[in-house]
Amino acid sequence: MFKMLNPCRFYHAVGRKKFFEFILLAVFILFFYGPLLNMLMLAFADTYEVPAVIPQEWGVKWWQYIFGKDALVSSIIQSFVVAIVTTCVSMVLCIPAAYSIARFKYPGRKLFMLSFLLTNAFPKLGIYTSIAVLFYKYGLMGTYPGVVIIHMIHSMMFMVWLPASAFRAVHRQQEEAARDVGAGPIRTFFKVTLPLAVPGIAVATLYTFLGSMEEAQGTMLVGLAKVKTMPVTMYGIVLDSTAVQIGAVFAIILIIPSAFLIWVMRKYIGPEAIAGGFKMK
Amino acid sequence: MGKKLKSYLVAYGLVFPAFMVVMLSVTYPIITAVMQSFQDEKTGEFTWGNYVYFFTEESQRNNILFTLYVCVMTVVIAIFVAYLLALYLRFVKSKIAKTIGTLYLLPRFVPAMCAVYAMITIIRDSGVINRIGLHFGQDWTLGLMYHASGMIIMNLWFNIPFAALMITAGLGAIPDSIIEGARDVGATKWQVFTHMILPLSIKDVVIAGTFVFMTNVGSFTTPYLMGGNSPKMLGIALFDQFNKYMKWNRSAALSVIMFLICSVSAGVYIYTNLKEKEWEV
Repeated sequence: MFKMLNPCRFYHAVGRKKFFEFILLAVFILFFYGPLLNMLMLAFADTYEVPAVIPQEWGVKWWQYIFGKDALVSSIIQSFVVAIVTTCVSMVLCIPAAYSIARFKYPGRKLFMLSFLLTNAFPKLGIYTSIAVLFYKYGLMGTYPGVVIIHMIHSMMFMVWLPASAFRAVHRQQEEAARDVGAGPIRTFFKVTLPLAVPGIAVATLYTFLGSMEEAQGTMLVGLAKVKTMPVTMYGIVLDSTAVQIGAVFAIILIIPSAFLIWVMRKYIGPEAIAGGFKMK
Repeated sequence: MGKKLKSYLVAYGLVFPAFMVVMLSVTYPIITAVMQSFQDEKTGEFTWGNYVYFFTEESQRNNILFTLYVCVMTVVIAIFVAYLLALYLRFVKSKIAKTIGTLYLLPRFVPAMCAVYAMITIIRDSGVINRIGLHFGQDWTLGLMYHASGMIIMNLWFNIPFAALMITAGLGAIPDSIIEGARDVGATKWQVFTHMILPLSIKDVVIAGTFVFMTNVGSFTTPYLMGGNSPKMLGIALFDQFNKYMKWNRSAALSVIMFLICSVSAGVYIYTNLKEKEWEV
């Protein structure tokens, strides 16, 4: 086994093509997952002084430090409340729109589709500052509705385009078959079309929820100091703290919901489902 | 005819609520921002002053050029690497290719702030790379933090998987049969690439490239945690104008400038997206 660690032997053992594939895999994992794994390690490092690569002392000192702060617990609750409300409102508004764009043909359809691109085609912060000026006028600054609106805009395009491409992928013949045996249009939608489009809708919902959990710039701008979600709190902690471990612990806490949801929905997450959110058809 | 009218009504009814949200929370604020950008801060009279400021002030002009540099570099490197990765994922059928095909989906779901923080623990001057160097008696001062290169590396982390995903989805639509057909009549691998694969996938390359550009012009999290004080990315400059200096008219003008930079690539994006074949409609 250990002689495989010698690159030359390894090269001759697996052949040239395999060898380069392994190098590619190693570079890929180092670049994309190395930082995350390193951070996971740092979260459990009580002492991490230069020049150690592996921490000198392990422990949960910094977890205790973080959970000892009230700000964190309240920010976790606020984050979840905002994310759940955003996701529900977004689904109610966007899925019908997606169905309309996917299944009906009418003048102005492309225009509606493009209007959702607006939310993503322009720099978000530019939109947020423009909104903030209006929010000041209507007293929405520093309120939950204000933050929810910002979070909804954040992922609206995906919430329309992804389900739209999922609805379009459902064969019309299947719907027609249901209609032929006597199902009404509403029953056909709920019994045939919707279940077949669930993977696309699931990915879109995941996007919206996670997008809301991680949104920081808009929340910081519009929430003032009154609505403090986890990412906003993390900005404060990261920029104030000297110990790298504090940020690492907080980042791990921030990552847990995404990791959990991705694991739950792993069967729906595929290249086609994600790419569908970026194309108009 | 009554039936057609009814279906129109249903279609418009379904799309209308979401459309109204976009109109009220994106389009309307953008329009007011455009008007505000031409108004003098105190008198409210028409002026070009807000724009003149950003193009005559040395530091502000540098911010614009700096942002363009970071964005263009990101797009060029990300698209090049992503294209190679996508070709590999499409045409190599091995276990390693399959593993990478799964692993590259996840970075999209990692909260941006966690990823940035994780990368900081690696590339900062007392980060992992420096510490590994110390073990070999080398003192590498990378100088990547607060510098354009650090931000470009971070942007690549975010955008390579995304661009590769979009391009892979496009390459996946090319049937094996036409490639085999070309090979059978004597085309070399290079000819197949330049005459078939590249033209058939160029649309997805353009979509991915423009999208990467648009998201990076207004990026906030990466420069906020990694960027230096001068020159700044436009996202940070805008945040400062709005939040720190409370210059709303100037920040409106800067938003418009950012919109205009993006609108070039948004135009390309929309044009490429809409240039569809009739049978796809």
